[in-house]
Amino acid sequence: MSNAIDQTRRMLSLVTYLRERPGAEVAEVARAFGITERELIGDLNVLPMCGTSFRGGDLLDIDTDGERIWWHNVDDVAQPLRLAADEATALLVAARAVAGLPGLRERDRQALTRAVAKIEDAAGENAESAARIGVTFEAEGTVFADIDRALSEGRLIWLRYWSHGRGELTEREVDPIRLVTEGHTYLEGWCRTSEDRRTFRLDRIAEIKVLDEPANPPRLQPRDLSAGLVAPTADDPQVVVEVGPGGRWVAEYYTHDSAEELPDGGLRITLRSAEPAGLRTLALRLGRDGRITAPAQLAEQARTAALAALEHYRDGQV
Amino acid sequence: MAIAKAERLMNLALCLMNTRRPLSKKELRESVEAYREAWQQGSEDAFNRMFERDKDDLRELGLIIDVDENALDGEIGYLARRDRNRLPEIALDAEEAAALALAARVWQQAKMSGAASGALQKLRAAGVPFAEDREHGALEPRIPGREAAFEPLLTAARDRRPVTFDYRKAGAATAEPRSVEPWALECWRGHWYLAGYDRDRGSARVFRLSRITGKVRSRAGAFTGEVPEHVDVRAVVARFAGEGATAVARVKVRSGAAYPLRQRALETRPVDADWDELDIPYGNGLGADLAEYGPDVIVIGPEDLRADVIDRLRAVAGLAEVQA
Repeated sequence: MSNAIDQTRRMLSLVTYLRERPGAEVAEVARAFGITERELIGDLNVLPMCGTSFRGGDLLDIDTDGERIWWHNVDDVAQPLRLAADEATALLVAARAVAGLPGLRERDRQALTRAVAKIEDAAGENAESAARIGVTFEAEGTVFADIDRALSEGRLIWLRYWSHGRGELTEREVDPIRLVTEGHTYLEGWCRTSEDRRTFRLDRIAEIKVLDEPANPPRLQPRDLSAGLVAPTADDPQVVVEVGPGGRWVAEYYTHDSAEELPDGGLRITLRSAEPAGLRTLALRLGRDGRITAPAQLAEQARTAALAALEHYRDGQV
Repeated sequence: MAIAKAERLMNLALCLMNTRRPLSKKELRESVEAYREAWQQGSEDAFNRMFERDKDDLRELGLIIDVDENALDGEIGYLARRDRNRLPEIALDAEEAAALALAARVWQQAKMSGAASGALQKLRAAGVPFAEDREHGALEPRIPGREAAFEPLLTAARDRRPVTFDYRKAGAATAEPRSVEPWALECWRGHWYLAGYDRDRGSARVFRLSRITGKVRSRAGAFTGEVPEHVDVRAVVARFAGEGATAVARVKVRSGAAYPLRQRALETRPVDADWDELDIPYGNGLGADLAEYGPDVIVIGPEDLRADVIDRLRAVAGLAEVQA
């Protein structure tokens, strides 16, 4: 369900669109506007209540039989409207960010750059505030280009990949599914080695080969990424981390079940991880800014690792 | 039943766009059913408030509403001139349209996502040839906006309005009130940052949006500090994250271990079968990065970095008092 602002915006464009297309098909118009047919019918129920004067009776005579849409008293109120500041900003910021993505195909980059110039022209002064917003997408350009090629040619990928959880380089065969960028860029694919869907961060790919073998990922529902790219499941083991004020960043970087304020300005963070052993590195990174309190075994592993590391620094060594 | 807001806004927009002369508030009240209802069943005040809010909403949607202070014998008149509200001619080819359609999908934040689809709808209505099928490609860039402070700061930076908010500095136990003239927002590595003029400190500052606690409040009045021509938020944030360092650290790394460190190395020399020696840029935060690898990394120097890592390891080993 869209809010009133978005619906108004859409209906204003809708009347312009319908003016040029008598008898437009409901399914096609819904697709064009990126909404469901139900939402479109909702709009079409509102439009006949709209007009330039309720008292004068000159309402929009728009109706539909559920399949096609007819506007019987088309008038010239339906002109294409200028872009609002936020609309121009949303488009321009996104287009510039994508154009700056390392590894993007040159042809796409050029098309974006041309489109940006045209939108800037059309938006006039409303394009100005877009300069106040910047978004940087990071990717390893050559790795990105290889994966992009594998995706478009439908081929299998071989990777040497740094597993953060296991702390080692691993070799895998992956059927690529998509490239997702949110700050960093990630490859989502079907890992034949672990027989599961996996997400690989591009800057942790040490080596990549696009193989001749065709990719054949199993048909999967695209994963919902709204909760973050690395979304633990309820079955994953629970880990409790207590941090001081200097370790509050943990709550920003790790998807967590809860973060409880502590009296000293710190947090008690409860999170889940498919590979809790990988959180040993978190404990080591936190130093005096925090510690793992559960499971005890994990805290002990971190302590053992720290003691082993300190052995290197005993007098006379290095 | 109350008339839906979208219907009311739509009617106001159509009235204002369709008139050749300014319309008075009274005329609009007579023309728009929802206003008549509000006025008859509520009060003059209720209608006035509704009308003012609606005008603001339509302006947010891009409509220019001219206000003529003395149009109708001393009464204020309103109109949305067609020539001022028309989208100029814009010719995008199919490739440019496809590229824009991809870009319009990247916003994950509700307001910007709505604005981006709204822009595409306007362009489509104006005849831009977007492909009808919305098959998602295999490339999915995403701009997040989970921070509550994002939307109010975006508007404040756009309109150049000063703001106040409570801010918890990195490592601080409590938040402090800040009074800021917001210049620019930057999203880096998936997190939003604000650059602006900090009024109390009298100089430029960068804030991380996730550390803003409580509400962002808009303040009356204009900016007092000069807005720089170019604001490079990313450079400031990257420097804080340890990038662009000129100093160099020397570390030993176990063979096959710590790939992310090796990737950053300026130079790598094998020491023996078990160890390599790496030169790494020594920027902010390197101590934490090195401690993470535990016994797989040994810091040779400089001395302050070595001391920092030993100190961190002692804390984790339980040999020092932990603050948490």
